[in-house]
This record gives sequence, structure tokens and C-alpha cells, in this order.
Amino acid sequence: MAEEAIARGLIAVGAGLAVGLAGIGAGLGESGIGAAAVGATAEDRGFFGLGILFTVIPETIVIFGLVIAFILMFAFH
Amino acid sequence: MLKPERMVKVSVVGPKDHFETVSEILYRLNLIHIEDPVEDEYFKLGEPFEKAGVISKSLVQLRSILSYLKLDPEKFIPRRKYREEEIKAELDRKLEEYRTEIGAKIDKIKELQEKIKALEDELKVIEPLKALGIPPKLLKGYKTIRAFVGFIRADPSPKIQSITSDYEVFLKDYGKEYVVAVFVRVEHAEEVYRVLQELGFREVTVPDIEDYDSRIAEINSEISRLRDEISTLEKEIEDLKAREAELMLAIEEYLSMELEKSELPLKSLVSKYAFVIVGYIPAKSFDEFKSTVESETNGKVTVEKLEDKEFEPPTKLTNPPGVRNFEILTLTYTTPKYHEIDPTAIMAIFFPLFFGAMLGDVGYGAIIAALCLFLKRIFKTEGWQKLLNIGLYSGIVSIFFGFIYGECFGPFVSVEEGKIDIFRHFLWPILHAIGINRFEPAFDRVSPMGIKVLLFVTIVVGIFKILWGFALGFYTVLKEHGFKEAMLEKGSWILGVLGLACIIFGFAYNLGVFHYFFGIGPTEGSGIPPLPLPGVVKGWQQGLNMFYLAALPLILVWFVLFVMAEVPKMGAMGVILAVELLTWFGQIVSYARILAIGLSSVYIAFVMNFIGVGLIDPQGMCIPVLGVIVLIIGHLINLILGVLDPGLQSLRLHYVEFFTKFLEGGGVLYKPFGRIKKFLE
Repeated sequence: MAEEAIARGLIAVGAGLAVGLAGIGAGLGESGIGAAAVGATAEDRGFFGLGILFTVIPETIVIFGLVIAFILMFAFH
Repeated sequence: MLKPERMVKVSVVGPKDHFETVSEILYRLNLIHIEDPVEDEYFKLGEPFEKAGVISKSLVQLRSILSYLKLDPEKFIPRRKYREEEIKAELDRKLEEYRTEIGAKIDKIKELQEKIKALEDELKVIEPLKALGIPPKLLKGYKTIRAFVGFIRADPSPKIQSITSDYEVFLKDYGKEYVVAVFVRVEHAEEVYRVLQELGFREVTVPDIEDYDSRIAEINSEISRLRDEISTLEKEIEDLKAREAELMLAIEEYLSMELEKSELPLKSLVSKYAFVIVGYIPAKSFDEFKSTVESETNGKVTVEKLEDKEFEPPTKLTNPPGVRNFEILTLTYTTPKYHEIDPTAIMAIFFPLFFGAMLGDVGYGAIIAALCLFLKRIFKTEGWQKLLNIGLYSGIVSIFFGFIYGECFGPFVSVEEGKIDIFRHFLWPILHAIGINRFEPAFDRVSPMGIKVLLFVTIVVGIFKILWGFALGFYTVLKEHGFKEAMLEKGSWILGVLGLACIIFGFAYNLGVFHYFFGIGPTEGSGIPPLPLPGVVKGWQQGLNMFYLAALPLILVWFVLFVMAEVPKMGAMGVILAVELLTWFGQIVSYARILAIGLSSVYIAFVMNFIGVGLIDPQGMCIPVLGVIVLIIGHLINLILGVLDPGLQSLRLHYVEFFTKFLEGGGVLYKPFGRIKKFLE
């Protein structure tokens, strides 16, 4: 019983790490793009839309993390 | 709808003395997109018609007045329109009137403003001196004494002391700095000046006045008199603007049109006696175009279809009215080339759908839709109207999904019984009263099974959209380069993605998703899944999934095709590029954001409700005011996030995951010679 509880806890921790670390990665990726996009927007207002779009591109990584988290939660419990 | 308008390349050729007539006709027809010409030995670029000089001069003057009056032709909505004859008859008189009336007044205002500025500068000098309290005539005009008057950062006395003891310093606190007057003998002046400069001394010129107060009063009355004068002038201009705005803009439009017409030669080639214009017109209008031009010039000018090798027509998007709103989203990405598919119609369906599936909340959707309807009445420009229409559609779809998910400002009913039933004290009594004892959403996306199912559904949508993208790409390449190219470039990827899809399905099958949907396969947590192949129950195959089996040949065929396509181009190293298959896997999984973004918004709303309702609840903390504030601010933040995030992510799912498969872009938009009149009839 105790082992199962520990296993469940570890799965939850793993799921958290998957989302959290992926989030940090995405954040690092977005920081550079965001800065460049703001710079480009300052030069040309028309770039705003594309700039926002470029900025959210690395967000896919978090989605991967989230999917992994779901799989952990559902497939290994 | 999916294809840009079909075009033909035409040439308009005629003698030069018909050039102006042709310019009028082409402008009126508003059909021909003129191609930039290339000069050769006999044909050179033309020069604008003679009238261009006068017109552009008047136009520059008029536009400077318009810009002063803040009349923007693009934003202004006219209440009445003028006929061209009216404009022609009054053109010179009106232009002269604007020049003398408004132009002169604007100049006068600028002059007065400069005067005010000068007076204010003087005040800036006098006021600190007045604070110092020494009359102006004592601050200058000495022979053996040097007087330094100005601003300084700190008291200079100690430093001057080290130079000479024979000095006088007057210091007064003035804002961030001090006003200072230092008197020293002329022979020490240079050294003292250096010391003062170290303390950031800025000298001011003492004005030639008798008394500070009387001068300040004089300046102030002068300034207020000038201001009155300016506001009178401004009011006069304002009156004129209200009365003449439409006419002024109509004249501006008329002159712009005339200028464009007279600059047609810059876009055509002329020889000594003839002119040639080459351009594209929609194929369906060709006959009308040809007969109009030829009959109105008595056959002197001919229009011919050109069967040219260089056939690069502009893109004219042809979408029905509702879909047309979404063109701005496509064009933000790129302008499709003439031969390519215009994905606007597909986007018009899937953009609001994804948006709604992510936001999925009756309350937020209704607010967004209402807000868009309201803003539509304020922002009348075309771009805003289109954008707000997109918002409106997205909001409506969100309401629809809100009913499916059962969400209105967060989860509407109990998510987990007894735990998150936040509206129990408010909603349930009302529902019971009208005879509803049970309310459950059609699909609860917050429950564990709901998450799993939605994850599966979004990924299926992803597979579908990515295959669709490749199919469109296949079609485009097929049209341009034939079947073999299409198969190698796009078809192989279709097989590859199908293989991936099988792997994903196999995994989902093992997770029991198929049991939920179709009643087959293992249920959740039932251990090793049996083989879905009918009849085979025992043996090594047990536990092997049919989908994985199906994936194998697909992936193999894809790999062979891929090697056939890449190795001739890249050499043996090209094989490494097969890793790219993983990119498509990533892009399929990327569609899971439809679930993820939605869930995050649900949980933010839920947390806000939990705190807010807990505060209001008479059996809870019972601080209604605070609770209401929490609810309003919390939902406002979530609403802003709920517009931004689903909007951007939905856009991104199209741009990155869908368009890249078939849309190269870089086309030129169809811009016919002519214009749609706004201020003229």
C-alpha cells in the first residue's frame, strides 16, 4: 500500500516536472524572440501581429510537457 | 473560393494622341493591374501628362491643410457625396479659398504660438530672479565687479572663499536647484567662473526691465490675449471644417484621381508615336474590357490577349462576404501566389472553431461578441471591421462550445461532486424552483475522462489538418510539376504522417480511448490489451496492437520515397533528414493546445469563483463587497487572457502547422488602375 502511494506521488512529481521544466525551456526560448519582436515592432508597427506570433511559437514545448504529464497521470497510475 | 481569380495578360496599344483618353477609360473601368514595364531600345518609360505638375502642387497644399485639420480620408465617414461636375466647377475657387482662409489662419496660429513660446521663455528667466529678491538693475552694469547670475547645484561660498575673501553670494532654493547671484572683483572672475562651472552653474541673461512683478503681469496678460486670439482662429477653422469637410475630402479625392490618371505614362512604355500598356485583367471581364476600350477610341487603340511565357498574374482573392473578413489573417501571413490555394475559406471555418473549442464559455463568449458588436459602431475603418467580425464569429462559437462544456464564467456545475459546486447557494435553488434537478454538460472537459477524450480528439484533428495540408500541397505541386514530383515532395509525407497517426491510435487504443468512443478494445487500466485482430487471441501476438502493425509498412514506404527524393539532391547525408518525420509528430501533438489552453482558462475561472463566491457566501466569509471585486477583477483578467491566448494559438495552429504544408506565398495583390470612390458619386 505504501509503495503504491509512493509510486503515485512520484508520478505526480514527474508530471509536474514535465510541465514545469518544459515551461522554463519555452520561457527561455520566448525571451529572445520576444525581445527581438519588440525591437522590430518599435521600428515598424506593422510587425506587431507577426511579432506576437513568432513569440508564441516555442509554446509548443510546454504542450509537449503537458501531454507527457497527462500520459504519466493516465497511463501509469 | 479556394483559387484566386483567373487572369489574362493583355496589352493596350495605341497612338500617343489617344493616351489621355485611354487613361480616362482605364481608370473608369478599374480593371487592369498594370505590370511594371521594362525599357528597351525603342520603347522608353513615358512622362506624366502636362497637367500633373499643377495638380500635384494643389494636392500637396490641400493635404497639408487636411493633415492640420486631422481629416483622414481613410477614417472619415462622409455624410454626403459630391458629383464630379460640382467639384470641377468650383475647384479653383475653393482651392484658393482654402489657401487664403485656412492656410493663412494656420500660419497665423503658428506665429502666435511662437510668440507665446518666447514670452514663456522669458517668464522662465524672470521668475527665479524674482525669487532671489534682487532688483534687475542691481544684477548688472558694473565696471569693476563681475556678477554671475544663474542656476547652480550647491552653495559655492566655501570654494570661492579659497580664491578670494572679497565676494558676495546670494542663494535661494528653487526646485531641484538653487538660484544664485555671485559678485566678485573682475580680476577673480575667471577663477570663480571655473569653480562655479564645477558645481553645474548655468548662467542666465538678466533682462532689461525695471520691476519683476509688473513685467510678469504684463507677460501673463499678453499670453492670455494671444491664447484668446488662437482659440478664436481655431474656432473659425473648426467651423469651416464642420461645414466643408466632405467637400475638402471630395476635392482631395478628385485631385488624387486626376494625378493618378496623369501619371499613367510612368507605368507604360512609349515610342515616338505610340504607347503600350501591359497588365492583367480578370479573364471573365476581358470581352467587356476589350470592347469598351476599342469602341470608345473608334478602334484606334487595340486590346490583345498575350500568350506570354512570363505569366505572373497578381492574386485577386475571391471569397464570399463572410469569409472575406478572414483575408486579413491570411494576408498577415503572406499573399498567396496566383497558382496557389487561398486558404482563407478553410481558415474561416477552423479559426473560430479552434477559438471556441479553447475558450468554450458562455459568459466570456457573450462578452466578446457583445464587445465586438459595440466596437464595430465606433471603429468604422475596413481593417477594424474585419477584425471585429472575426471576433464576433469567434465569440459566438465560444458560446456554442460553452453549452457543450457546461461553462459560464468557469465550470457551471459540480466538477467533482461536493467539491467544486460553487454556485450551490445561488443557482441550485433557482434551478430547483423551475423544476430542474439535474444539469450536466454534454461533455465535461474538466473530468479525467474528459481530458483524455479531448486530448484524443484534438490530436485526431491535428492529424486530419496536417494530412489536409499535405494534400493541398500535393495538389499544388501536381498542378505545377506533375505527379512524380508531387509524390516525392508531398505524397511521401502523407504516408509518413499516416504511419505516425497509426502509432498514435495504437497508443490511444491501449489507453482505453476506443472503448469510450466505440465500445471496443480494453477499458482503462485493464492490464495488457488484447489484440484487436479478430480471431487471434493467444500466442506471441497477444498484446500486439493492430495499429502498430499497420504503421510499419506505411513508415517503410514513406522512408523509401523519402530516400528517393532526398538522396539525389543531398547525397547520402540526405537520409539524416528523415528525422524531420518527428517534426510532424510534434506538430500533431501541438494541436493538444486546444485542450491545454482551454483547461488553463477553466481553472483560472474556477479559482476566481472559488475565492469570490467563498467570500460572498453567507456561510463562508460573508464579505460580499470584496467577493464581488475579486470576481470582477479575476474574470476580467481571465477574459483578456481568454481573448489573447486562444486567438493567438488558433492563428498559430494555422500559420505554423497548416499553411507551411502548401503555401509558399510572396504573391502580389491585385490592384487595378482606378479606385473605388468614397467622397465622389
